[in-house]
Amino acid sequence: MRQPDLTDDVASVLITEEEIRTRVADLGRRISEDYEGKELTLVSVLKGSLPFMADLMRAITIPVAIDLMEVSSYGTATESSGLVRILKDLSSPIDGRDVLIVEDIIDTGLTLNYLVRYLRGKNPRSLRICTLVDKPARRLVDIPIDYRGFEIPDQFVIGYGLDYGEYYRNLPFIGVLKPEVYASP
Amino acid sequence: MDEVPEAAAPSGVGAPLFAHASEAELARILDYYGIEWQYEPTAFPILWNLDGDVVESFSPDYYLPEFDLYVELTTLKQSLVRKKNRKLRRLRELYPDIRVKLLYARDFRALMMKYGRLGLLDSLSGTEGQVTVVHDTAAPGDTAAAPGDTAAAPSRAPAGTPRSRMRRRHAAIAGESAGAR
Repeated sequence: MRQPDLTDDVASVLITEEEIRTRVADLGRRISEDYEGKELTLVSVLKGSLPFMADLMRAITIPVAIDLMEVSSYGTATESSGLVRILKDLSSPIDGRDVLIVEDIIDTGLTLNYLVRYLRGKNPRSLRICTLVDKPARRLVDIPIDYRGFEIPDQFVIGYGLDYGEYYRNLPFIGVLKPEVYASP
Repeated sequence: MDEVPEAAAPSGVGAPLFAHASEAELARILDYYGIEWQYEPTAFPILWNLDGDVVESFSPDYYLPEFDLYVELTTLKQSLVRKKNRKLRRLRELYPDIRVKLLYARDFRALMMKYGRLGLLDSLSGTEGQVTVVHDTAAPGDTAAAPGDTAAAPSRAPAGTPRSRMRRRHAAIAGESAGAR
């Protein structure tokens, strides 16, 4: 059976592979300079930030530790208590370390706000935020972003880790999903 | 899996009556992420008569103390929000230090899409009236709902699941999976 082509569902490419590569390299340089001589831990938030994390950590030239977290999202099958749940917690302590949260996208800021509160409770020396994509039009709660890859318009985007219904994460670019994909049947 | 105590105390306890089911849904979302909220805590006078009596006021739906932010949610069609926009402009003129975020129908739709609850959105269309938020404490899969609370009704249905067209296209690749970003 012929496999469906994911790109058929892409209305337009918003950020090309090349643009991502260039920007990630730039972020990596800045982070390397800013954290020179510090004990940096990158905390990636699964699943969407996986590609970004993988590329960003290789663009950073100073020693870094990495860790992964996953939290439940409202409305998903993992939700049962009515409260956010930590599905995957840090595997190493971060107290006294400089922590940089690595996010794929920040829109409402609700998940990130929760994570920041949670991680602050673990007494890091510093806690900052790096996101590849920022969609400020959807912001509900304001959180200062220290490193921002791209600011994008209010469109539903997929690719480079960003999903719709768990698909499209493996697209190498960031694109706009065709409305008919999520429109009611 | 650890449940984090910080988020364990929903702030909206006291079950206010919501004017619209979408407001109850937003309250549930805020509770889920541990965001403290108050429902219509303040009525801001925006128009007075010549005797100085208040003839019009504006009560934003939520106040989020942690962010010192008011949130107004309107699920009216864009063409029908002129009155609300006028009130909001007036509020901003009179109270420039007050921070208010207006969520339009399209914003709420985007929120529902993000959380894989477009099906719920469909069921909310045209739903108005007295609705109380119900904090989810039920067993997995259960959906607690107050009488008439359509916001809580149908929708743990495949969260984040692509709708039919995509489902058909991807059926060959993998089973149905729920999830959002």
